[in-house]
Amino acid sequence: MNVNREKMGALFILALSIAYGVYAYKIPLIFLSQGETFNARTMPYALAIAGVVISLLIIILPSYDKEKAITAKKALSGFDWRRTAWLTGLMIAYSLSMPWVGFVIASIVFMAGGVMILGERNIKIILLASIPLVLVLWFLLTKVLGMYIAPGELYYILGGTE
Amino acid sequence: MWEGLWTGMAVGIQTTMIPVNIGLVLLGCFVGSFIGMMPGLGPITAVALMIPVTYALDPASGMVLLAGVYYGAIFGGSTCSILINAPGEAATVATAIDGYPLAQKGKPGKALAIAAYSSFSGGTIAVVLLMLGAPLMANVAKTFQSSDYFALMVMGLTAVSAFAGPGGFLKALLMTVVGLMLATVGTDQTSGVQRFTFGSMNLLDGLSFIMLAMATFAITEGFLMVLKRQDTTGVFKEENLASISDLKVTRREFRKIAPTIGRSSLLGFFIGALPGAGATLGSFLSYGMEQRLAKPKDKKEFGKGSLIGLAAPETGNNAASSGSFIPLLTLGIPGSGTTAVMLGALIAYGIEPGPRMFVERPEVFWAVIMSMYLGNVFLLVLNLPLIPYFARLLAVPRNILIPGILFFSIIGVYLITFNNFDINAMILISVIALVLRLFDFPMAPLLLGFILGGLMEDNLRRSLVIYDGSFCFLWERSITLGINLITLTFLCSPIVQWLLSLRRPNPSKGSASG
Repeated sequence: MNVNREKMGALFILALSIAYGVYAYKIPLIFLSQGETFNARTMPYALAIAGVVISLLIIILPSYDKEKAITAKKALSGFDWRRTAWLTGLMIAYSLSMPWVGFVIASIVFMAGGVMILGERNIKIILLASIPLVLVLWFLLTKVLGMYIAPGELYYILGGTE
Repeated sequence: MWEGLWTGMAVGIQTTMIPVNIGLVLLGCFVGSFIGMMPGLGPITAVALMIPVTYALDPASGMVLLAGVYYGAIFGGSTCSILINAPGEAATVATAIDGYPLAQKGKPGKALAIAAYSSFSGGTIAVVLLMLGAPLMANVAKTFQSSDYFALMVMGLTAVSAFAGPGGFLKALLMTVVGLMLATVGTDQTSGVQRFTFGSMNLLDGLSFIMLAMATFAITEGFLMVLKRQDTTGVFKEENLASISDLKVTRREFRKIAPTIGRSSLLGFFIGALPGAGATLGSFLSYGMEQRLAKPKDKKEFGKGSLIGLAAPETGNNAASSGSFIPLLTLGIPGSGTTAVMLGALIAYGIEPGPRMFVERPEVFWAVIMSMYLGNVFLLVLNLPLIPYFARLLAVPRNILIPGILFFSIIGVYLITFNNFDINAMILISVIALVLRLFDFPMAPLLLGFILGGLMEDNLRRSLVIYDGSFCFLWERSITLGINLITLTFLCSPIVQWLLSLRRPNPSKGSASG
């Protein structure tokens, strides 16, 4: 990880460009377009080549501003990764739980969880930051704008109807 | 020409001056100011967060709201720069150079008032120029063919990278390519074959632009605040609110900044009208120009709370923001990251921006322009007196602010598609974008590439069909050739700068040896 951060980033995009180019080769072509100058593979091929060339240029050429150049390890260190990881996990849990418990419950839990992850311990603030916001938003979306938001499987399991 | 202008203005007034749209401009200005004032959040995030709301509106009203959010966010960003020296985005960095020292001298109200008057003047002058220039440009653009559009798009994408400077040129260019790659995901428009869908039904329509905008800006901004333990709560104290209320600017001070406002408006507008330049360059160039033109006595004041130093970037960035609508409305090429998001919104409404929009959807075209007048007036008349109250927003604890940003980003995407796949894809992309941002890779070129990718491929394909599979259209058609030459200049300028920097002696080495 003692690699310069921009070269590390370029290395990642180089890998992405190569993978993109490989998959571009697998794009199915209809019979008539196989002999055409421009078909569904043309643009992806050009982009894969451009991605590889530019990434390699960044990797090979010296950094423009050497004094500002820092290693990838340094660029990623000293941050609060733990809380960010918890928030990412909470977002995934929110996404997965929404179809089951519904928008209102999942959103309240998400907001309350997010506020708690960021260090809030006062239960009054946690509840005030989550419940009114979600209920007001739900009311605006469903009753004012007339949007349909599915109530979630739990609602039907508990005997709810449309 | 004048007849068309009056007719257009009448259409714009008719569309904008209805209670709903006036309310939307007002709402946009307020919401934009609120989001823009949050440290770390800029106009791109503000506009991206509001797009889902606009899907419930007709296109003209939606664009009016988004335009209001845009000016509001720039206004809010300046307030944040002046009061707590935390520019929400690059365009307001130059504002902080003199705005913050002026606020520190106990004159935050004066600093905010000068910023507001300069923004209003810059915005208004630029809107007049936009009103005159956009129809002319649209008329010229009517003669454009596919090859010209293709060349223009390449120029726009290259310009964004070129303006990133020699240090960021290749990184910006690479991110543009990544954006173009992401644009190819989904069903190919012409042949109907699937590309990079990996057999997933969710990818048949390609990636959602709003999902990508939220992932690369709103969510990563939230994550960056958590990572950096950024907390501005309490930075601005209650006792400072009293001095904010003193918004008085003397006649002498007005006279002093008036020429600066005039010059910066013109410069900002023309910089903004260049595809890819945007408000950041407008503000910095205006600041630099005024610094060079200032009298020796005034020159010493720069960086220490100079009124001219504050008025110049504020006028420049607002004029450039209005100017950036020229390439968006007339050519369909965004002039900045924020207008790229707005272009995505227009495409989502089913409107193809460009000269045809000027003819086919004049109400959208002129409503945006007329809403700019309204937005500027609202920001000056309503938002300026409310600054002391807005400043309290800086006290919103990050414990609540960050989950709120994440929540609205997720909901914004979910309410459009009602598909969990988009949310999960957004989370994955935001984590990758976060790491890339920490590695100093810009995200605006990616978004620009993604939005223009489909149109670019389509125009290239059409050009090749017209020219029987030959690439000679790149040099045979004079307009295309002219645009390509400009693109080449954009491509070469950072390379030349880089080569010159290699020849320049390293000062640190010099001092060590000397």
